[in-house]
Parts: sequence; structure tokens; C-alpha cells
Amino acid sequence: MENNPNITKRKINIRWLFNMALRDSRKNRSRLLLFISAIIFGIAALVAIYSFRYNLQHDIDKQVATLIGADLVVSGGKTVDPTVEPLLASLGDRRSEERSFPSMVYFPKTQGTRLVQVRALKGEFPYYGSLETEPVQAGTDFKNGQKALIDRILALQFNVRVNDSVKVGEVTFLVAGILDKAPGQTGISSGVAPIVYIPLQYLEQTSLSKKGSRINYSFYYKYDKPVDIPKVVKSIEPKLEKVQMGIETVEIRKENTGRAFGDLTRFLSLVGFIALLLGCVGVASAIHIYIREKIASIAIMRCLGVKASEAFLIYLIQIIGIGIIGSVTGALLGTSIQHVLPSVMQQFLPITISTDISWLAIGQGVLLGIIISVLFALLPLISIRNISPLNTLRINYDEVNLLRDPFRWLVYLLIVGFVVTFTYFQLDSWLGSIFFTIGISIAFLILTFIAWLLMKLMRLFIKSTWGYLFRQGFANLYRPNNQTIILIVSIGLSTAFICTLFFIQSILMGQVKLSSSGNQSNMILFDIQTSQQKDIAQLTKQQHLPVIQQVPIVAVRLDKINGHTLADVIKNPKLNIPERAFTWEYRVTYRDSLSATEKVIKGDWVGKADPGKEIPVSIEDNFSKRNHVNVGDHLVFNVQGVSMNAIVSSVRQVNWNKIQTNFQVVFPTGILEDAPQFHVLLTHVPSAKVSAQYQQSVVRRFPNVSIIDLGLVLSIVDGLLDKIGYVIRFMSAFSIITGIVVLIASVRISKYQRIQESVLLRTLGASRKQIFAITALEYLFLGMLSALTGILIAAAGSWALAKYSFEIPFTINWLPAILLFFIISLLTIVIGLLNSRGVLNKPPLEILRGN
Amino acid sequence: MHRINIICLLTATLLFASCGDKKATPAETQATAAAKPDSTSGDKVVLFFGDSLTAGYGLPDPSQAYPGVVQNKIDEAKLHYKVVNAGVSGETSAGGKARINWILKQKVDVFVLELGANDGLRGIPVTATMENLQAIIDAVKAKYPNAKLVLLGMQVPPNMGGKYAYSFKAIFPGLAAKNNMTFMPFLLKDVGGVPSLNQKDGIHPTAEGAKIVGNNVWQVLQGVLLK
Repeated sequence: MENNPNITKRKINIRWLFNMALRDSRKNRSRLLLFISAIIFGIAALVAIYSFRYNLQHDIDKQVATLIGADLVVSGGKTVDPTVEPLLASLGDRRSEERSFPSMVYFPKTQGTRLVQVRALKGEFPYYGSLETEPVQAGTDFKNGQKALIDRILALQFNVRVNDSVKVGEVTFLVAGILDKAPGQTGISSGVAPIVYIPLQYLEQTSLSKKGSRINYSFYYKYDKPVDIPKVVKSIEPKLEKVQMGIETVEIRKENTGRAFGDLTRFLSLVGFIALLLGCVGVASAIHIYIREKIASIAIMRCLGVKASEAFLIYLIQIIGIGIIGSVTGALLGTSIQHVLPSVMQQFLPITISTDISWLAIGQGVLLGIIISVLFALLPLISIRNISPLNTLRINYDEVNLLRDPFRWLVYLLIVGFVVTFTYFQLDSWLGSIFFTIGISIAFLILTFIAWLLMKLMRLFIKSTWGYLFRQGFANLYRPNNQTIILIVSIGLSTAFICTLFFIQSILMGQVKLSSSGNQSNMILFDIQTSQQKDIAQLTKQQHLPVIQQVPIVAVRLDKINGHTLADVIKNPKLNIPERAFTWEYRVTYRDSLSATEKVIKGDWVGKADPGKEIPVSIEDNFSKRNHVNVGDHLVFNVQGVSMNAIVSSVRQVNWNKIQTNFQVVFPTGILEDAPQFHVLLTHVPSAKVSAQYQQSVVRRFPNVSIIDLGLVLSIVDGLLDKIGYVIRFMSAFSIITGIVVLIASVRISKYQRIQESVLLRTLGASRKQIFAITALEYLFLGMLSALTGILIAAAGSWALAKYSFEIPFTINWLPAILLFFIISLLTIVIGLLNSRGVLNKPPLEILRGN
Repeated sequence: MHRINIICLLTATLLFASCGDKKATPAETQATAAAKPDSTSGDKVVLFFGDSLTAGYGLPDPSQAYPGVVQNKIDEAKLHYKVVNAGVSGETSAGGKARINWILKQKVDVFVLELGANDGLRGIPVTATMENLQAIIDAVKAKYPNAKLVLLGMQVPPNMGGKYAYSFKAIFPGLAAKNNMTFMPFLLKDVGGVPSLNQKDGIHPTAEGAKIVGNNVWQVLQGVLLK
């Protein structure tokens, strides 16, 4: 600039601007490195979390795909209508076909007969997962000959081994393998009857497929290239519905399997959002402090004749450079963490995390890093335009009041718009993004307000009577060149994110645990007659199995509600009673107490009926709402020919999620004991072997009793739940750790803020101890206050998330929160002290020179 | 996660029950008919004791089930008989055995037995089914020695396997002969296995199917009532 005499009319010389940007950065590379490192950590956190998220989501989706074994399944209970045959042949890139039906099979070796589910299969199904058999190759080999796979339960029950035979219909098959697990086996049908797979080409010979046979026709499709499955479903659904065929896809199965998948998706979105904000905090706090430190240099340059616009551009160029370097390095670091970590931790993780490079994550990370750098640099940079050369001489660090500067508002708007847009990429919902952004803005404002309040209060409270160290330490919080706002905001926000993740994680884990079956019942015996129930319970206990529940079930119908019959309801729709209330065949029970999964929400539970009075019954909440029946209403039940007058004494809320018998209507004891009824018994069998043994002994003594074995179904679902649980824990642990790293980095950048003063103090004769105490006090206060505020914000945020996003009950565990409070406070002090260690350990002059 | 309603689950596996939001049997009329043990009219009672084929599972109107069709035929023939429908969805022969005494509290002049289909679909050993049905017949004989007995035969679909299907089918003529009952070999004659006459589940007749069943039953029952 020395060569520029013509200051006023000079054109912008781009090359010179770049040079200046470079020259300015040369001044103190180590300091620059510190700032860039904050950006690197922020972006690395973001890229690693995003990459993990995309990979894990993909992994879980692949897991779910094994539940049905194909991309698309079409099935129906009748022979395929010729009109849809071309359609069925046109779907997918690879196709398999299956006919399944119940049949009695015969094991010649032990002369046993049993009802099984025969599945005649053609094609490469399953496309996801495999038919898990012993020996392994049997799962695919059996299709090549007159061979069958039999469920392990059958093998155990009838003492059948590989290479024995099984007769299905008229054909005797060689048992090629024992089946342990099969995709698509999660249906209830597999619980009723164990599975036998045979090749489809032998079905005709078995003569089981004839007129009148009840056969289910399934078609499995696999797409080799990614296809918009929901779109395919939409286009074929109406045609298939016409011929009474149903469709299943991975997506549909996910929805039907329960809320765990939805919870996982929402949680991963939340993690993504938090990663975004962590990235923002890392980058923004670094840039903010960096530029503020540059104000003096800018003023000097202005003194030497640099135009405001030139100064602005010089630093813009510099920031973009820093942003690019930081973001790219951060993206590299993040990707390598995401690559290395799973292989290092493989033995501790129950799931395989794929380590595909996610270009989407990298792209978002780099873009975000640069944009955030620029946007947050703009805030102080626009004030450059107003920095007069005099600023140098006055050493006025107070920011010029810019609230009236319209550009500043524009920048704010840009930042908000940008956060909303990037949030949208994570949440896939504009409304959600806006709410999340509003939430974060509120958190930001609260923290800023707290910081402002702190400064005001300190100014008021500090008395000259206090010791010097206290005065100095606290005064640092509000004196010019204070770092209160920036540190409280960045520490507070980081704490809030970490804590929110923690809270939500533990709430979700509670949900997952609730859903998984644990020691819940996995076997149901029904159609037990009254005369048999004691013996069966005894038999169960003899085999060391628990009788989890044993309930009588009576079939009843509802004749009248408050005197109105079905005929009245049809005649007079204004009665507001659905016809279904009367046409339904209710299965009710009677007992003297509530079960563990029930809660009375209205009225009083009555366990015993008084003879001669109306029978006090308890109804379920949904029954009450659906039929507009409430406590005190009169019902007339028809118990297979006998009218019974009842009055609703209570309304119950029932948790339907457990494997348990639940009832819409419960009678008290003393009424239905003599009515026709059967009993249901629920137990838990630990293994296939025990299950086979138990089933065998039950069926031998009580041939009429039917058994549903849900062990396999539940174990598959539980396995998936476990994985979801691990993913949630892994992601939250990883995000919390990265959050702490970002927090450390953002506190670390305040290093140079205090150096000058500390050195001056030392020069003036302050002892190391004194400086130590002053610094410790300042950071202690900042750390505690922002950690506390952050945790409170997290509690409020988690409550809102639980209520509105996850729609699950909010619970909070304060102990870890308190622990986190101490950890963050301590961390802040430690980093603060580390920051001034240089000053403490070295002679002042060295630092003054070296700076 | 496991949104499995046990009752749903049980009934889903059974032949003759419904679950969820499907329309269930509107059995109001049958139930009330059965609800008046001492019928005021002098009509004699034809009691249909059976499962959901009798109860009319899945039909929009219970009188469309075959006992209702038979009632219409009786009325057309101006015979003084009243049909009582004592069908319960999902019932097996064992369930029927446990229920029979409760049902027999009311007067019975003609007892029509239609049970066993659920046993067959669950692969219950035929000897057990046979014993239970015999016990039901014995109970009726003991309480109403003069009641006329009718047995409606059942078959299982061919997919259950030839051997089982054969021995299952053989239960009914044997029982009928042993107990001197009027016998109809197969209740679902002309209807079973015809997709257009059955509901989506492939087992329960539609209203049209039930009409054919009712006519077939009437052919057999006519002789008994006119005797």
C-alpha cells in the first residue's frame, strides 16, 4: 500500500487484497492455528457424526430388510388372478415364488405326525439375510433336490436328524437341514406351526395343492438398482387390492414392528441437528474472537490509508481461506475418525458399522464450515466499515453500537436462514426445522441474557472492600475486552447439547427396554378346558417353567347399552352407538383384582359381584371412547343364551404392548364361573429345546390344547431392538465426546484474550499465585454459570422433545446432570488455567516479545 | 414394540373368529333367541350347536348364516319350529363339550351338531375330536332323550394331507351311524373351495354361499322335521 499515492480513486486490486490477507495471517501463525483448530474440531465432529448417522441408518435398514427378506412382497390367499399375472411378472429385477399352507406332516423314523406350515419355495429368496440352517449350505442346497428343511422344534420334538426323512403329502423328502431362522418368519403364523421348506417343483406331486386347498401365494421381489419402492407400491396397490392381494415392504414392516424405528430416526435427526450446532459453535466462536482481535490491525491499516471496503475484503478473503482450510481438514479428520473408530472398537460393538465414505456428510461439512465462517466473520467485519483510524489511538475495544446498522440485521437473517436450511437437511421437515431453530434461538437469547445480567450484577456488587484477587477476577467478567458473552454462550450451548443428548438417550433407552420382551411370556397355550387347567399348570411347573398368567376366557355378546338394542341403533343413528358394539363377539374374563398392566382411570374397581344386583364390570378406555360408554352406564350382556345385567363400575387403561392377555371387558368374580369358558396359559420358555420338550408333553396329555410359540418371533425383534439400542447409545456417546472436544476448543481460543493483561500484571509485580487465582475465579464463574444454564435449557428442551417430537413420557435423571455440571465447570477452569500457563511459567518479557 | 393383542392373536389363528376393526358377526338375533330358555310360543326348538359356520362369521346380517336360511325354509313350509343359533366362533369340539350343559338349559327338540372344523384345521388328533363329539351327543341324549339328532359332517381342505383328511372325514359317518343320527356328509357341499362363494379367508361362506349351505341342510332336515 505504500505504492498507492492515489488513495481516493484507486481501483480494487484483487491480487493485492489476496497478498494482504496472506501477509496479515503470517504475523502469528501459531495463533491462527489455534483458531483453525477450533474450526477443524467443529467440522470434524459434524462430518463424523453425519457419516456415522448415514452409515448406521443404512445398516439398520439392511437389518430390517432381513425381516421380510426382499424389497417387496405380494401375497394373497387365492390362486393368482390371470389379470395381474403380467403385472406380477414385471416387478423387480429378481423374483421368487412361494406357496405356503398348513399341513400334517409325518416323520417315518419316529412315526410322529404334526401340523406344520409348509413353504414351497422357488428362486433365490431370501435376498436379505439367509435361511439359517445346520448345516449351513442346506439353506440354499435344498432347492436342488427332493429335500426339505425342518424347523428345529420339529427336529427336537420328533428326534429327527439331517438325512432322515419327512413325508409331506404324498412325497417323502430327505431332511437336508435344520432351520433356525428364516426371514419373513416374524409373522404369528410361524408361532402356531413350525416351518417345513420344500422346493416348489415338488408341490404338485404332494397332491396337497388341489381344489379347496387353502394356500397362500407369495411373490418376493428384489430390485438390483435403487427404486422408489413407495412409489411402486402406490402404482400397483389398487390393481392388487382388486384381486385381494396384499403388499409388504421394508417400510411397512418397520411401521408395523413398532415405534422403535421411528424413535431411532428421530433420534438420529436430533443428533444430526446437534452436530450441526456443534459445528456452528466451534466455527463461530473461533471466527468471532479472531476478528475481534484483528480490529486493532484494521485500525492501523486504515490509518495508513486502506479503504474500509478494502479492509473488509482483505479479511473476508482471509476468513474464507481459514474456513476452507479448517473445513477441509475437519472433514478429513471426521472421515478418518469415522473410518478408524469402528475397526478399533469392533470387538466391543455388537453391531457391524459399515465405514462407507459419506460424500454427503463431507460436502455438508465443508460447505457449512465455509458459510458459517463467513457469516460469523461478517458480524464483526461489517463494523470495520465504521472503524475510524482514531480507534487505534483510543484503544477503544467496545464495539461500536451497531444495532441500528441494517446490514447487521441482514447478517442475522442470513445466519438464521442458513441454520434453518441445514436443519432441514437433517430433519426433512420445514416445520420441524423452524421449531428447532426457534428453540435454539431461545437458548441463545437466554444465555446472552444471563451473560448480560451477570455483567450488570457484577458491576453493581463488586465492592472495594473485597480482596484484590476477588475484585480483579470478577471484574474481568464485565470490564472492556471481557469474554463473558462469547464464553457463556459457547459453553452454555455445548453443555445444553450434551445434556439434551444424554437426557433423550436415557428416555429412549427406557422405551427400548420396555419394548424388548426380556422375561415376558413367549409361549401361549389356549383352548385349555376348565377340567384341564390345574393339570396343565402343574405340568408347566414340573418342567420348571413359570406360569406367568392363567386366565379364563368367556365369549359374550352385548345386547343392550343403556336399554338400546342393535335394532334401536340402526333405526336411530343419533344414539351415537356404533353397530359394531353389538355385532362384536367379546372375549372377556373375570377376576378379583387388576393386572399389572392395567390402571383404573375412572370409577372404582370392584372385584366381587353381589348376588342379585347389577354386575359391576370394568371396561377398557378405548372401548369406553368408541362406544360412548362410561362409568354408571347400564349394559346387558348375553353369555351364550343367558342375559346378564351389568353396570360399568370402572374404566381401565391397558398397556397393550406386553405379551399378555388383555381384555376390553372384565367381570368380577362370582358370576361367570359356570359359564362356558376356556383358559389361556402364558409361560416363558428359555430355549428351543425346552420348548420342544414342553410342547410334546402338553400335546401328549392334552391333545385339544393349542400352542403358540413366539420365542423365535420375539428373539428376532429383540435382536433388532438391541441393535437400535446400541446405535442410540453409540451415537449419543460419540456426539457427547465430540461435544466436549468442541467445547474445549472453544474455551481454548480465549487463550490470547487474557495474556496481555496477565503479562502486564506480572510486569507490575503480581505473583504467579495471584494471576492463577484471578484466572481461576473468572473461569470458575463462567464455567459454573454457563453449565448450570445449559443444563436447565437441556431439561426444558428435552421435555419439549419428548413431548412433541418423540411423544413419550418425559423423565429426568438429575444425578448425571449434576455430574455433568461439575465436569464442565472443572473443565472450563482447567482449560482457562492451561491457557494462562504460558504467562505463569515464563518471564513476562519473553511473552511480550514473542507475542 | 410387540403390538400383539393376545386375544387377537388367539382368534387370528382360529378358524372362526375375528379381530381388529373387521365387522364381526352380528349375532344379536341368535343370541336373543338363545336367551329365552322357556320360549313362550308353543314352537318346537331346532338348536344349531356349532362354530362360526353356524354363527355366521363375517356376514353383515346374522340371519344370512345357514341356520337363518333354514328358519326361512321352515316358515315357508309352515312348520312350527323355531331355530336357535348356538354357534360360537372359534369353537373346537373340546370347547363344545365344555359348553354343552350350559346350552342344554333350554329345551331342545331337534339338535343339530356342527363342530370339528377347528379341530381339523389345528391338526388335533381325530380320536380326541371323536371322543369330544361323542360326549356332546351323550349329554344331549341324557338330558333330552326324545330329541332328534342331526350331524353335519365336515372335511378339512386337501392341503392338510391325504391321510389326515381321510381319517378326519371318517369321524362323522361313524358317529352318525353309532348314535343313529340323521347325517349330512359335508356341510360345505358345493361351496367349500369355490372362491366366489367364500369370504376373503377362503373358509367362511358369503351370504350367497350360506344360502346354498342352508338349502342343502334343509334338504336333510326337512325329513326330520316332517317325521
